[in-house]
Amino acid sequence: MHAPIDGRALHHAAQGSTGADHSGPPLAVEMIGITKYFPSSEVLANDRVDFAVEAGEVHALVGENGAGKTTLMNVLFGLVAPDAGAIAVDGRPVRIHHPDEAIRLGIGMVHQHFKLVPSFTVAENILLGMEPTRYGFTARAAETARVRGLESEFGLPVDPAARVGDLPVSLQQRVEILKTLQRDARILILDEPTAVLTPQEAQELFGVIRGLADRGRTVIFITHKLLEVVEVAHRVSVMRRGRMIGTKPIADTNVRELARMMIGREVLFRVSKLPAQPGDPVLEVDRLTVNRQEGIPAVSDLSLRVRAGEIVGIAGVSGNGQSELVEAITGLRPAAGGTIRLLGRPITRLPVWDRRARGMAHIPEDRLTMGLNLHTTLDENVVVSRYREPQFAHLGLLVREKIRSLAEWVIRQFSVAAARPGEDIATLSGGNLQKVVLGRELSGEPRCIIANQPTRGLDVGSIEFVHQTLIDARDRGVAVLLVSVELDEILALADRILVLFRGRIVGELDAARAAEEELGILMAGGTLETAS
Amino acid sequence: MTPRRRGQILDALLIPILAILSGLALASVFVLLSKTSPLVAYRELFHAGFGCATLTRCALFTTLERATPLIFTGLSAVVAFRSGMFSIGQEGQFVLGAMVAAWLGYGVHLPPVVHPTVILILAMAVGAAYAYLPAILKLRLGVNEIITTIIFNNIAILFMTYLVNFPMRATRGSTAVTPVIDASAQLPEFLPGSHWGAGFILAILAVAFIWGYLWRSVPGYEQRMAGEAPGFARYGGIRSGRAALRGMLISGALAGMAGAIEVLGVHHQVLQGFSVGLGFDGVLVAILGQVHPIGVLMVAVLFAGIRLGAQIGLQITTNIPRELGGGILALIILFVAARSLYTDLLAWVARITGRGAAPRKEAA
Repeated sequence: MHAPIDGRALHHAAQGSTGADHSGPPLAVEMIGITKYFPSSEVLANDRVDFAVEAGEVHALVGENGAGKTTLMNVLFGLVAPDAGAIAVDGRPVRIHHPDEAIRLGIGMVHQHFKLVPSFTVAENILLGMEPTRYGFTARAAETARVRGLESEFGLPVDPAARVGDLPVSLQQRVEILKTLQRDARILILDEPTAVLTPQEAQELFGVIRGLADRGRTVIFITHKLLEVVEVAHRVSVMRRGRMIGTKPIADTNVRELARMMIGREVLFRVSKLPAQPGDPVLEVDRLTVNRQEGIPAVSDLSLRVRAGEIVGIAGVSGNGQSELVEAITGLRPAAGGTIRLLGRPITRLPVWDRRARGMAHIPEDRLTMGLNLHTTLDENVVVSRYREPQFAHLGLLVREKIRSLAEWVIRQFSVAAARPGEDIATLSGGNLQKVVLGRELSGEPRCIIANQPTRGLDVGSIEFVHQTLIDARDRGVAVLLVSVELDEILALADRILVLFRGRIVGELDAARAAEEELGILMAGGTLETAS
Repeated sequence: MTPRRRGQILDALLIPILAILSGLALASVFVLLSKTSPLVAYRELFHAGFGCATLTRCALFTTLERATPLIFTGLSAVVAFRSGMFSIGQEGQFVLGAMVAAWLGYGVHLPPVVHPTVILILAMAVGAAYAYLPAILKLRLGVNEIITTIIFNNIAILFMTYLVNFPMRATRGSTAVTPVIDASAQLPEFLPGSHWGAGFILAILAVAFIWGYLWRSVPGYEQRMAGEAPGFARYGGIRSGRAALRGMLISGALAGMAGAIEVLGVHHQVLQGFSVGLGFDGVLVAILGQVHPIGVLMVAVLFAGIRLGAQIGLQITTNIPRELGGGILALIILFVAARSLYTDLLAWVARITGRGAAPRKEAA
C-alpha cells in the first residue's frame, strides 16, 4: 500500500512538505505516509498522512470530529502503532513504540482528559515518578523548589502545595503542561486544550502557548475551533476524513478558507426526503438558561421552536452547550431560567417521566450508559420509558407478555439483527444497540423527538438507517430536534438549521440554501458579514 | 429456556460449587496439620451439619433453624444492593428488631397469633426506620452509606447493651439478660427440642416475596434499573432516589424481622452480646448467593450447616478446633471472590471439549 520507509523518502518529503527551501534548523517533527486502520470500527483513521512541524512554531492541527487528528498525534506519542509510515524527530528517523520513548525524545502530550491524581498536590503530580528523595523519603522542600523553578522559567504560576482536585480545570491543565515540561518536553502536543476552558481561560492559555514558543518550545495543538487557530498558530494543517488536506501559514489563509478545507467541497450524501410540511409548534423553548455548574451558564437566553413535521438541526462545535440544552429539554437538568412548552403546555418543571408521558422521546448522546442498561435483557431495556403505561403494568406487577411483544416489535420493525427477546443485550454491536434505542423511543408514537448525536460511532449502514428513521418520523408529523456536531448530518436531515455557539443561537439558516462554509464560520464563532 | 439462559444458570450454580470444593480442598491442609484425615473430618462435618438420624436427633433441622436469620439478613442485603445502595447496616437493624421483640414480648400481653404478628410488624417498622436515616443521608447529602451504616451498627449494638444492662434487665442474675417473653409471643416450633419452626416458613415466604418483588413488580424493576445503571434509570424517567429509598426501607424491614424472629422463635429473651454477627453474615450470604434470593436461601443453609458441622462434628468427634469451620467459610468466600478463575476455567473446558459455552459474540 505504501512506499517503503527509508531515509531517502524522509528527506525527499521533508523538502516537499514545507514548500520552500528549508535550510534552517531541522524540522521538529516530521511524519510521512502515516496510515492507520482500526479493524474493530472499520475506520481508516489516517490515510497516508504527511505532517511537518518546524522547531519553535505553534502549529494548529484542525479538522472535524473523526478526521484523524488525535490518531495522528497518538501515533507521534507512541500510543497508537501505525500500519505504515515513518517519523523523524529533530531530523533523525525514529520509531516510537511507547509513550516512554516519545518522552525520551522530548515529546509531551496533554490529553483531553487529564491524567492527574486529584488527591495529590500540584508538586506531587508534577514530579510523580521522579520525586526528589532524601534518605528514602520524598523531600518536600526540594519538590516545592523544583516546581517553583519550573514556574518562573515558563511564567506559569501555580501553588505547589494546592491539592489538584481543588483546582479549577484551567489550572489543572496548567499542571499537566508543567508536568510535560518537567520531563523536558521540547515538543508539546495539546489535544483540544480549549474544549474544557471558558473563553477567558482560553485567552490565558494562548498567552501560555505564545510564551512557550518564545522560549523555543514547539507546540502542536489540536482543535476544531478556527478562530483560535487564527489567533495563536503560526501555521495550520487541516485534516479531513483521515487525509491531510494541506498546510498553510496563518498569514496566507483565513477562517473561510480553513472552513472549506475542513468540511470539503465534495457533494455530500443526502438522504432522499420530500420538502417538510410543518404544522403547529410542538416544542417551544423560550429564553432558556441552563447552568453547567452553579452560576456558570452553558446555555443563555436561548429560544427555539420545533413544529410538527419538521427537523430542526442544532449545529455547533461540541461543548457549546448542546448537552446542557438537551438535558434541560428532556428534564435531566433543571432550567435556571426561561420556559419550555410541549404541545402548548409548560413542562419546564416536570420530571422526566411526565415529559415522556406527554409525548417526548429522547435519543441520548451516550447510548451505553444512558440509553441502555447493558446488564439486563432486551425486554427490560425497551420498556424503561413506558413501563408506567397501564398495558405494561397491572396492579404493580409488570405485564411480561406485553413487554415481550414490545421487544419483538422493536426487533422486527427495526431489524435488530442478533437480538432475541428476553436475552441480555450486552453482546450486540453499536449499530444494533442504537436500533434498540430508536425502536424504544419511536414505539410510543412520540410527538417530539430529541435526538442528540444519534449516529455517533456508527458505521455507514447504521447511520443511513438512523437518518431514514428520523425522516420517516418527520413525515408522520413528529417534531424532531436534531443536535449534532456532524455537519453532514445536519445538512442531510434538517429542514432548518440553528447554529449554537457558546450557549447561544448565533444564526438560523434554511437548510435548502445553507452553504457548508457559512455554517462552518458561524460554528467557529465568526459572523457572515465580516468573513465574506 | 434458551441455551444462553441455561448457560447462565449453569454458571451461577457451578461457580459456588467449585468454590466450595476448592475451599474444602485447601482447608484439608489445615485438617492434615492436626493429624486427621480430611475425608474423616469432612464426613463428620457433613453428618453433624446436614445429617438426619431420627426426627428428634436431626442436625439438618438445627441447621435450618440457624439458617433462618441468615436468609433474612441475606435478603436484606440483596434488596439494598439491588437498589444501588451498598448498605451493610443489617446488624444494627437486626439488633433493634430483636430489642423491639424482647420488649413487646414481655411488656405487652396479647392473645397468641396476634401477639407475634404485632411484634413482627413493629420490628419491621423499626428496622425500616433505622435504614431510612442512612438512606436519606446518602440521597440528600451524598454521605457514603457504607460508613453511615457501619456507624449505625455500632450505635444500635451499644444501645442494646445499655437496654439489656439497665432498663430491660431481669431483676436477678449475674449476667445481663432481659425477661423471657410471654408464651403467647413465642413462635411455634415444628418438633420439640428444636427451634426450627414458623420463622423458617416466614423466611421461605420472604424469599418468594423478594424474588417476585425484584423481578416481577414495577417498583422492583425501578430499583434494579436504578441500581444497575443509574444514568439509564434517570434517562428513562425512573425516580431513582425514591427507588433506592424504597429498597433501603425493605432491606431494613427484613433485617428487623430477622432480629425479631431470632428472639420470638429461638432465644425468647436477649442476652448481653446477643448479636453474633448475623447481620454481617447477611452481606456475605448475599454476595456468595450472587445477590439473588434463591442463592441466598442455598448459601444460608450451607453457611449454617458448615458452622454447625464444624462446631459439633469437628470439635466434639474429632479434635479439630471448631474455628476451622470459620476457616472453611472464609476460604470459600475467597474462592468465590476469585470467580474469574472459574469463568476462565469453564471457558477453557468448553474450548477443549468443543461445547461452545463461551459467551456468544454477535457476528456484526
